[in-house]
Amino acid sequence: MKNPRSQRGPSKPSSSPGEERAVHGIWSGTLSFSLVAIPVQLVKAVEPGRVSFHLLHNKDYSPLARRMFCPKEEVPVPPEEIIRGYEVGPDRYILITDAELESVSPERSRTIEIVDFIDLEEVDPIYFDHPYYLVPAKGGEKAYRLLVEVMRRTNKAGIAKFVLHEREYLVLVKSTEGALALITLHYSEEILPDADLAPQEGEIDAAEKSRIKQKITNMLADFDPGQYADARRQKIIDLLKKKAREEGEVEAPAVSEEEGEGPADLIAALEESMRQVKKHR
Amino acid sequence: MAGRTIWKGHIHFGNTDVPVKLHSAVRENRIQFHLLHRRDRVKLQQQWICAYEKVPVPLAEQAKGFELEERRYILVDPAELEQTEPESSRMIEVRAFVKTAQIDPIFLERVYYLEPDAAVKGYNALVGALQEREVDGICTWTMRKRSYLGALQARGKILRLQTLRYADEVIPVKSLDLQQFSLSEKELKIGSDLINQLTVPFEPEKFANEHQQKLQNLIDKKARGEKIAILRPRRLQPTAPDKLLQALEASLKKVA
Repeated sequence: MKNPRSQRGPSKPSSSPGEERAVHGIWSGTLSFSLVAIPVQLVKAVEPGRVSFHLLHNKDYSPLARRMFCPKEEVPVPPEEIIRGYEVGPDRYILITDAELESVSPERSRTIEIVDFIDLEEVDPIYFDHPYYLVPAKGGEKAYRLLVEVMRRTNKAGIAKFVLHEREYLVLVKSTEGALALITLHYSEEILPDADLAPQEGEIDAAEKSRIKQKITNMLADFDPGQYADARRQKIIDLLKKKAREEGEVEAPAVSEEEGEGPADLIAALEESMRQVKKHR
Repeated sequence: MAGRTIWKGHIHFGNTDVPVKLHSAVRENRIQFHLLHRRDRVKLQQQWICAYEKVPVPLAEQAKGFELEERRYILVDPAELEQTEPESSRMIEVRAFVKTAQIDPIFLERVYYLEPDAAVKGYNALVGALQEREVDGICTWTMRKRSYLGALQARGKILRLQTLRYADEVIPVKSLDLQQFSLSEKELKIGSDLINQLTVPFEPEKFANEHQQKLQNLIDKKARGEKIAILRPRRLQPTAPDKLLQALEASLKKVA
């Protein structure tokens, strides 16, 4: 259950060799509807919000990086030396290149073509999987702004399919706070039936229901997710402040030639780091 | 069949207490690839590599640190971190009710079906009340040492619990630095008309994951040693800003 989503969806680092150059854009291509084509980039919309710790080597306090590693040669493997394989037997694979994967659906590899628009309120929320933002690339700003504004006014969303690496995503494109959000959807065949969980007795206790409805009215509020912070995060920050005061910090060896900056007030640095963390979320 | 029971709890607010069992609601079934080393075809593993020594670091030699600034860390003991874990509880506490339409899907995370665990009467009444008021219950609970925020929904005869992202996990739109662009009323009007013309009912069953079959065909072809024709992805010509109105009008003419 830890970070259930962070390892899934198009941003999954292990399944995207050769993609590390662009930290910002996960994908670039064209968003289209009817005869309008908008150059866009796909970027992250969410980040798992835990206070971020680094794993360190306890000998030299150097940070650890997650790398693909060849167990035979015992070396880390750079993205350009990685290839996908489909397992057909023990240690037997059919190799598939990125170009071959793109050739499966070339029309959908670089284009998100909105085929239908739908009323947003018709979408059962069970379909929503993982959100991203689309941002306009150079020259696409005006058409992007038009689509944002028109979908906001009509409360409509676009439905499209597009292919990223080995997966084809069914996606919904909607207007969110002045931007386009792209949310991947589950295919209906992935939604499990719920009929076997439904209560056997169907009748509703009318008195109980009206009591609950009254309670709902009393507890009705606007949706304000900012009100519910993860209490654990504050506890962790308190712990870090205490440790910084009592035990101080450790220093990792420099990997490149650049020199570290002078010592700073610890608590101030900590608070600044937390501000940075928050600012980027 | 829904997935197996993964957790048990009880929904609580005021005098209402409804015991439920959580079941997963989604199952993905996709062709899996492994990542291989190109030159020796050995299956790669993910390893934690020391940035300084460039060697894999076993679990026993890993430490956790909070980065104060570059290369400076506060070390944290796993036992100390454990003490910050929330206390375990079985209560799914409803904190407020909100209109369902107010919840932006960007917050939605994972869905569970809720099966009544005992008293069906309270369960059914809650389903009915949520549906008639068109609200979701905003809940907090602790499951497997983690605090969750979620939305309690009723669909058909079933309650669902959908986990929500915390507000600071959603990257704010303003950090995208989007440019403002003034649009004419005419462009907006034609754009709206076009989208209304292209609107259909939402029928997710219409979209099969046919890609899986195509992928399987590709694998089969390669297994037989056939050569794969490499097709270039289609790149569309972007609509120039001064041609936008023209493109919208032509689109509208096409569908009207």
